[in-house]
Amino acid sequence: MARFINAMVLLAVLITSPMCNAQVCIYELQGKVTDKHQRPVVGAIVRLLSTSLGAATDTNGNFTITNICRGKDTLVCEAIEYKKTRVVINIADTESIQIVLASGENELGEVVVKGERLQDLHTATQTELSGKALEQTRGATLGQALKELPGLNSVQTGPTLSKPVIHGLYSNRVLIINDGVRQEGQQWGSEHAPEIDPFIANKITVVKGAESVRYGSDAIGGVVLLSPDDLPTQKGITGDVYLIGASNGRMGALSTSLQGAFDKALEGLSWRIQGTLKDAGNFSTPHYYLNNTGLREGDFSANVGYKWKGFDFNVYYSQYNTEVGIFEGAESGSLKDLLIKFESPRPLTRSFFSYDIQRSYQTVYHDLFKASSNYKFHNGGKLDITFGRQKDLRKEYDSDLPLTTDPNILKEPQLSFQLITQTLDLIYTQPNKNGFTGSFGFTGTTSGNVFKGIRYLIPNFRDYNGGIFAIERYSVNKLTFEAGIRYDYRWLQVYQRNPVNLVLYNTTYEYSNITGTAGALYHFNDHLTMNLNTGTAWRAPSINELYINGVHFSDASYEIGDSALKSERSINTSFSVNYTSDKLRSSIDLYYNNIWNYIYEMPLAQPVTTISGVFPAFAFTQDNVNIKGVDVSAQYAFLPNFTYQLKATVVRGYNETIHNHLIYMPADRLDNGIEYHLPNIGKVSEPYVSIDNISVARQTRVPPHTDYVPPPAGYSLWNANVGCLLHIKHNSLNIQFAVDNITNVAYRDYLNHFRYYADELGINYILRLKYSF
Amino acid sequence: MNKTRIVLLTTIMTLVIFWSACNKQEKAVAPPVPGNEFITTLKLVATNVADSTDMVSCAWTKLNPNDTSAPDTSLAHMKLRANAVYNVKVMVLDETKTPPLDITPEIQDRENYHLVCFTIAPGLNLSVQRTDHDTNTPQHEVGLADKFAAGSPSSGNLEVVLHHQPNVKNGDCNRGSIDIDVNFTIYIK
Repeated sequence: MARFINAMVLLAVLITSPMCNAQVCIYELQGKVTDKHQRPVVGAIVRLLSTSLGAATDTNGNFTITNICRGKDTLVCEAIEYKKTRVVINIADTESIQIVLASGENELGEVVVKGERLQDLHTATQTELSGKALEQTRGATLGQALKELPGLNSVQTGPTLSKPVIHGLYSNRVLIINDGVRQEGQQWGSEHAPEIDPFIANKITVVKGAESVRYGSDAIGGVVLLSPDDLPTQKGITGDVYLIGASNGRMGALSTSLQGAFDKALEGLSWRIQGTLKDAGNFSTPHYYLNNTGLREGDFSANVGYKWKGFDFNVYYSQYNTEVGIFEGAESGSLKDLLIKFESPRPLTRSFFSYDIQRSYQTVYHDLFKASSNYKFHNGGKLDITFGRQKDLRKEYDSDLPLTTDPNILKEPQLSFQLITQTLDLIYTQPNKNGFTGSFGFTGTTSGNVFKGIRYLIPNFRDYNGGIFAIERYSVNKLTFEAGIRYDYRWLQVYQRNPVNLVLYNTTYEYSNITGTAGALYHFNDHLTMNLNTGTAWRAPSINELYINGVHFSDASYEIGDSALKSERSINTSFSVNYTSDKLRSSIDLYYNNIWNYIYEMPLAQPVTTISGVFPAFAFTQDNVNIKGVDVSAQYAFLPNFTYQLKATVVRGYNETIHNHLIYMPADRLDNGIEYHLPNIGKVSEPYVSIDNISVARQTRVPPHTDYVPPPAGYSLWNANVGCLLHIKHNSLNIQFAVDNITNVAYRDYLNHFRYYADELGINYILRLKYSF
Repeated sequence: MNKTRIVLLTTIMTLVIFWSACNKQEKAVAPPVPGNEFITTLKLVATNVADSTDMVSCAWTKLNPNDTSAPDTSLAHMKLRANAVYNVKVMVLDETKTPPLDITPEIQDRENYHLVCFTIAPGLNLSVQRTDHDTNTPQHEVGLADKFAAGSPSSGNLEVVLHHQPNVKNGDCNRGSIDIDVNFTIYIK
């Protein structure tokens, strides 16, 4: 009975509103609850007395409470078999506290609060994937995982390559920041997926809207921030093991992390190692397998941190390796080839299951070395310095071997790109004074691209980017203002060889831009908050937009770059309303993003004839466009133990120059679900059952004569989930079983580039186990 | 404080070294790989079975694969005698090399996953029969060697397509992807 009550308290806390009576409610408190053996206490409830803001600890004993107000408060921690503990904390000053849970029935424990930090740009619209929602996406790619969030979609090239789409924008218009470092990979096509192992993150935050001021160029659509768990501070070793199996593609994934900290002479030193292995074979649609869609992935990372006086040093290294087969039925030698494949109800070749990866395939290697340090001044200010060096090496092998008699060339990929990027960030965060807080800093990046290949795609280049920014925030009573400004400079030199006389030559480009952001956040009362933000962003044309020239085989198109393209600039205004009460948590985000010089591929009247056939030609061009839309999300506890969940994403894109729709906008999407929380039984806690329906409409707003075939019909999918947490002594096992596409519907999605060739995936049974110790 | 300075200096030095260590590989643009071959030309060479002096050919050429210019079709036509039978060789050439390089043997080496298909426009009195076979089990035709049987005088388009069918070849033209797809005008007189 006591446990049942505890579960009820947890639910109540989860749906309780963020109530802010004090002034600055922009802090985030992170911490960990452990027992006396430093083992995590799962399901403990931690809340702030004055506001009822609270959270339950996850399987690692970690908790995060956001939107906390500045000032003194009492933190209360409750857990079964432990006595309720209270401690007074002072938000804004507290760096780290430990709360020892008073003697319970038989054990002692403690709560460690690792310190709180300001949320970056809190007037911008943000959404977060963490906790149970993140666990339910484990094993999926980053692009697929983020589809769970309102306002996000993914653009795909077959089942294994996907990129996140924020408010209709993707690729080099979405910035990915991996633990503070800009992810620099090849973002030159829809088949170039982000080179990241999603298992490294225990929280993914998405900033929706143009926010170059804080994050630099390219943040036209938004920013995806991946954050790993903080390194432990308590002596001992803890870890997680994920084991995931999925029926579709007979996919298996194993991911492990181990972490620890030292005491005594080595106090302040902590570490983590992590690794992931993933293997999948041919995925299947309801009626056939997708030949050659297997993948292999092997990733690892290591992290060491050291805290010494006011300093905090951190060194991190990660490596990502993957080999991905490209669906055999999606190779088009020409437009005729594509249309034959489109008209056929199923791929023309025999379908079968296999783990083998044949040509064509791609291999990707990405590594990141990061060294960062921060120093806290006595006045409360903080200086952060972060250096990152990343290397991205991508090799693409066409379906046929190179035509040659030279055995060495036979082994070579048709395309190979190597991009090496160094980044340096220096940021000073000023202490809170009379309601003012802020940060300013410098960021610098340089990257060099080396293209090797036996068919031309893009040239070599070197670029240097520098930016300086300042953001200031002022809070008074229930209102917070925020404003920022930034200057960026980009220098780009492109190296080419004259195809006739082989003489080297180069072309230099310079771009500079000023961007700004301004916003306000208002807490009406305990239930209602509103925020309004106008942000600007810019993006220099990417190398493929400037220089690509050649056939894109999976799209059966001939792409032509334009070396005279100018920078894109955007102004995005977003307005959000959040309402939270005991039974309802809801938010509505409205946005209007105006983009000048938006770069896209315009079809040319004259097709290009090559020896392999006739290809429609597309030239990169730029126009002024706008994208507007609304994201809605709501969770409503309509009956005890039942929660209804709704997520809706509506995006409209319009080309103002040609007065027509914008191509490749996501279709309207509605996600509805009901979750039933069962009472805890013995060692089984938080059991739940949920069912979801995802309905996507047909995209009818497309510009005429730009696509070979009309957009596919709408579809409706059903997914189900059951899960619970098992306590095994002081460890825990999180069990989750999901069925995706229960009714095995055959459908195609407008944002999948392979919709010309094949259906999307059929039914998929997924078992996810997570053992935490 | 001295210690702090040392730590800071070391950090900055390390960063500077890392920063300047990039060796500017991108400036050395790789020259074209000499052994790499391009398909620039598809040529048909037809020899009259009854009269070996009657040898005609036609060729479809595009020298630069990475350019949007029109192909050279000035030689993409051929005259056959009415009611005659010709042995036809399909040749694939790389004419960016001097002298032009014959790539046909390499296609021949990969005959188990290549198939040449012919589409004869209505009105053109021509029939085409492939005469060569690959080493698949069972064997399938390849089409690099063919027999053209010209009928009564007429003219029209002949489309020649080289299909690339790795592991899926079964004699059917619609499989795999297209490597070459060109058109010739055939006159039968």
